[in-house]
Amino acid sequence: MKDLVYLVPLFPLIGFLINGLFWKSMPKKISGLLASVAMLASFAVSLGIFFEIKNNPAAGGVVHLFDFIHSGSLHIPFAFQVDALSSLFLLIITGVGFLIHVYSTSYMHDDPGFTKYFAYLNFFVFAMLLLVLGANYVIMFIGWEGVGLASYLLIGFWYKRKDYTNASKKAFIMNRIGDLGFLVGMFLTLYHFGTASYGELFPKLIAGLPEGVSGNTMNAIAICFFIGAMGKSAQIPLYTWLPDAMAGPTPVSALIHAATMVTAGIYMIARSSAVYNLAPIAQSLVAIIGLATALFAASIALKQYDIKKVLAYSTVSQLGYMFLALGVGAYTSAVFHVMTHAFFKALLFLGSGSVIHAMGGEQDLRFMGGLGKKMRITQITFLLGCLAIAGIPGFSGFFSKDEILAAAYAKNPVYYYLGLAGALMTAFYMFRLYFYTFTGSFRGTHEQEHHLHESPAAMIIPLVLLAILAVVGGYVGLPEVFSEHHLLNEYLAPVVQNFDVHHLTHETEWMLMGLSVGLIVVMILLAYGRTKKPDFKENTGIAKVLENKWYVDELYDNVIVKPMKGLAVVLDKYAERSGIDGIVNGVGRLVSWGSNRMRLLQNGQVGTYIFAMVVGVVLLLAVGLLIVG
Amino acid sequence: MKPLIASAVFGVIMMFAALSVKEKKTFTLLATLLLVLLTGVNIYELMHIMNGEIPEALFNGMLKYGSFSIWFNTLMTGIALLYVLLCGKHIEKVGQHTGEYYGLIFFILCGANLLSGYNNLLILFLGIEIISIPQYILAGSDKRNLKSSEASLKYFLMGAFSTGILLMGIALLYGAMHTFDVSQFNFMEHNVDAMSLGGIFFIMVALGFKVSAAPMHFWTPDVYDGAPTPFTAIMATIVKAAIFVAFLRLFSETFGGISQHWTLVLSIVTALTLFVGNITAVFQQSVKRMLAYSSIAQAGFMLFAVLAVNATGFKGIIIYAVAYSVATIGMFAVLMKLKDYTYDGFNGLGRKHPLLAFTATIFLLSLAGIPLTGGFFAKYFVLTAVMEQGTGMMWLVIFALLMAAISAYYYFKVLMAMYFKKGEPELAIEVTTGDRFFLGLAAAAIIVIGVAPDILLAWLKN
Amino acid sequence: MSLHEILFYFLSLMALVCALGVILSRNPVKSVLFLIATFFAISGHYVLMNAQFLAVVNIIVYAGAIMVLFLFVIMLMNLNADAEPQKSRLVQFAAVLSGGALFLVMIAALKTAGIHAEESKIDSSGEIGLIHNLGQVLFKEYVLPFEVSSVLFLSAMIGAMVIGKKEEARTEA
Repeated sequence: MKDLVYLVPLFPLIGFLINGLFWKSMPKKISGLLASVAMLASFAVSLGIFFEIKNNPAAGGVVHLFDFIHSGSLHIPFAFQVDALSSLFLLIITGVGFLIHVYSTSYMHDDPGFTKYFAYLNFFVFAMLLLVLGANYVIMFIGWEGVGLASYLLIGFWYKRKDYTNASKKAFIMNRIGDLGFLVGMFLTLYHFGTASYGELFPKLIAGLPEGVSGNTMNAIAICFFIGAMGKSAQIPLYTWLPDAMAGPTPVSALIHAATMVTAGIYMIARSSAVYNLAPIAQSLVAIIGLATALFAASIALKQYDIKKVLAYSTVSQLGYMFLALGVGAYTSAVFHVMTHAFFKALLFLGSGSVIHAMGGEQDLRFMGGLGKKMRITQITFLLGCLAIAGIPGFSGFFSKDEILAAAYAKNPVYYYLGLAGALMTAFYMFRLYFYTFTGSFRGTHEQEHHLHESPAAMIIPLVLLAILAVVGGYVGLPEVFSEHHLLNEYLAPVVQNFDVHHLTHETEWMLMGLSVGLIVVMILLAYGRTKKPDFKENTGIAKVLENKWYVDELYDNVIVKPMKGLAVVLDKYAERSGIDGIVNGVGRLVSWGSNRMRLLQNGQVGTYIFAMVVGVVLLLAVGLLIVG
Repeated sequence: MKPLIASAVFGVIMMFAALSVKEKKTFTLLATLLLVLLTGVNIYELMHIMNGEIPEALFNGMLKYGSFSIWFNTLMTGIALLYVLLCGKHIEKVGQHTGEYYGLIFFILCGANLLSGYNNLLILFLGIEIISIPQYILAGSDKRNLKSSEASLKYFLMGAFSTGILLMGIALLYGAMHTFDVSQFNFMEHNVDAMSLGGIFFIMVALGFKVSAAPMHFWTPDVYDGAPTPFTAIMATIVKAAIFVAFLRLFSETFGGISQHWTLVLSIVTALTLFVGNITAVFQQSVKRMLAYSSIAQAGFMLFAVLAVNATGFKGIIIYAVAYSVATIGMFAVLMKLKDYTYDGFNGLGRKHPLLAFTATIFLLSLAGIPLTGGFFAKYFVLTAVMEQGTGMMWLVIFALLMAAISAYYYFKVLMAMYFKKGEPELAIEVTTGDRFFLGLAAAAIIVIGVAPDILLAWLKN
Repeated sequence: MSLHEILFYFLSLMALVCALGVILSRNPVKSVLFLIATFFAISGHYVLMNAQFLAVVNIIVYAGAIMVLFLFVIMLMNLNADAEPQKSRLVQFAAVLSGGALFLVMIAALKTAGIHAEESKIDSSGEIGLIHNLGQVLFKEYVLPFEVSSVLFLSAMIGAMVIGKKEEARTEA
């Protein structure tokens, strides 16, 4: 089965090529079907691989396809890494990806760029699979750039809106800043270890610091990689692109900006656990940045009115939790949360898509309300998603989030309390969102009220499936207090080196769980109370600051963008026009001048030619015979 | 051996055909057939070598064909075929003696064959002369054109001068070695002296003259510009490649052991050639003359293969010879379709005749050495070959890259004219479907080499 | 000094003086005559080396055929001293300088070079130049160059024909 792994990215690639090449002439039905079938096929192969590895962890390994770069001592094969970690991600990507493809066939049905959309979507999946499967950082980087490109194309999918294309540009540029970090990290790795292949690099690191490599080097490499992860996974300070990325179609937000692409950074760090275990400074940085992002984004989500913006900030915040887990060395917990988050956040996005679909494109909470009566299934599935993300016991989010918080407590109780605060905010804004949308009375126009309807089956079925996953997905990782076996931990153990997670006593764990659950229930009730009588008056004070996202966009604009523009003007005027242009043109003029002089030698006289030739020959002979010989 | 005889016999057949055949088109057809046959004979010979037949010295060690020689010959006859297919109808227009022109072209191939297989300085000399004399005639074949006659006479005079130098060199080497047989050359402490080195330098100068290396290049622009364009195309490509092979074999194989004595001089020649070719090409108004200078510049790059003195150099010259020859012949074929040979003559070609412009673009990109074209790997291989010899030549490689950057300027000037300037390009001759097909074929070949250069090296043993 | 040596130096001197005469005389006819004298001197050298056949061939081919052809051409073109284009002093000076430099470089280099004659390789009987031996060598050892030069001459003949033949008026291409 493992040798068939190349099929997994191949199917979406074929889908992309066919849809991409014939996008003008493809009928809608066929292109949607083709893209979905490609995903299903990939999913089937991924399942096969997953179970093979589950039954026999030794079945994985490196599948070598061909030599990619072979130059001197540098050897970069085009190879795929098949192991527990990558097969789990394969499953998430192709599984959730398939559901979202199916959902899209209905959601995007009336869009003129239908075929193009599916071509992009298939391309994204292809690149994401490449990222996850690559057996070295170079292949990962190819996928990394590929998903960046796909994300850029899909955010700006409705390219006629100027602010949408601006959002796509913003995403691309912020990602590029991060990519630079990744690249530098990769070069440092190549320089110090001579290889970028996991199979050669990590065994060197597991035993401890290799000879000739200092701790500072490891920290530098780890921080560079983390900068790459910050960009892709929207962490402070490179997070502002993700909320703007909601300009893309909602299924795209679900797939790329919630379930898969944004978790690439977590995948990279989990994959590089051997590197981070040797880089304590970088680890602390990851934890602090993650925690800060979690709190910061959650606080912004409290006061947002755009349904997708709330979910976007919630995604940023949840990603922060994952980084917190990575930073405290609980890599499996991070991966666990990636998985559960993929389920419930995709569900929430698709649910919001269903709502937006019914509202005819309206995204503002202030004009919704009481939708539950018209869209029962959407309401129920959305509620399940909210319960999962809020961390109500029995739902998937509870297990994964609890695991992260427990690991944080073990590392440093301060992390725990701050993380808990974030979780409470999460519960509050999610239920605020839920109550504003589905309960109460409708606040929109009459026309919209008439238009309200439950979404078609192609949209509902993925919602239901995801809802089931969001509920039960957590049982693969029951905490120790409930069960002897933590299935996920056992599955991932051969690949990921968890860093000395201190085991808490069961009493502590019960206490922490009880504390968080109790407070979360209080928050939900609070949210219910606040939304019972909707009152959308002008926000003041801290609420206004939150509504305006702490003015970070304005801050970036004033501190970075404007001075950069000023600098660009100065450079353009002085360095470029008179400096560089002067040099370039000067060289050009010098060449022209020389050319003109040289041309004169060519005067058409055989005598001159032979004379010049003899002079040349004499000089050459003098050099050759008298100086060298 | 068979291709050598075949090429000479075919030349004679073309001459006799000239007695009886009146229609000029028939000559082109006959020449095409004979070239196909000649390529076949070469391939037949190649198969023998590939099947493990050990090449042996022929005629008391006068000739020795290895897989390199025969494969090179096969490629050159193939390129000659492409040349006739692309330029045939232009050759018919040059003068009255079409049959004889084709006969001379076969003799040139005969000379090229000798140069690729020589094992004796006498054969080297004869090969060079057999290649040169037809050129003097072809250069002057347009008798109504004063420039053509002038080119012929100039070439002949200067060629005679270089022949004298070549003979002088051979004589000095004979004095030092007491033999013409290069496989018996045995450089030792006592005979690496002014006599043998003087011989080597004189031969270097003479061969340098033939490949238009500076400062022996002065004839090139005048002759290439004055000669009828279809014959310039063959002079700048097949002839040059063949002489380079002789150059490479002599200096890498025979004089390779004492390379420390001559590489400095040759690297100065290389640098000068690159400089003169590229810098002077910048200021030309006529594309034909620009191509003449560009052929000097390209010769500078091919000299790197000689400088390398290693196996990569041999690979490099194969790729370079093919990529450069196909691109140059193609570019001349496009040029000959136009009435006006200046840059302005290309104005607006991209809109009026997109296929001509497109193929010309590929040829020019290849000449400039842009990746995905054959020219890129050609340059890559010859420069790598030199780098393999250590860092001593680094300065020259950097200089060459600088010059390659300059070369992009004058090649791209043609592209600019074709695509960004408005104009009504006038055709001198109608573009037929056959022309389009063969131009497309040449362009495709360039791309194929640019993607998979190894297909040209698969036929080389060791 | 033996007679052989006296003859050698005499012929060498004659060859050099006559060769100088070729390039120094202003009248082309005189140049050709000097050239013929040079050839005679070289033929004398051949005779000294016991190569009578080469000596005779040299006189027949070069002095006889080629030089007579030269003379015809010169007379047909009616060249004389006045027809020679005046070269500027500067060019003459430069030419002398570069030629002299070439000469000097060669002398400087070759003065250290010894002649390492490997005696065994040279036919000590001194009969290599005889027609019998020459024929043996030419048609055995050097048969390929001999035959291949026919291609060379053939192409030269075609050349003479192509260049020399009067071309009928042709339609404008």
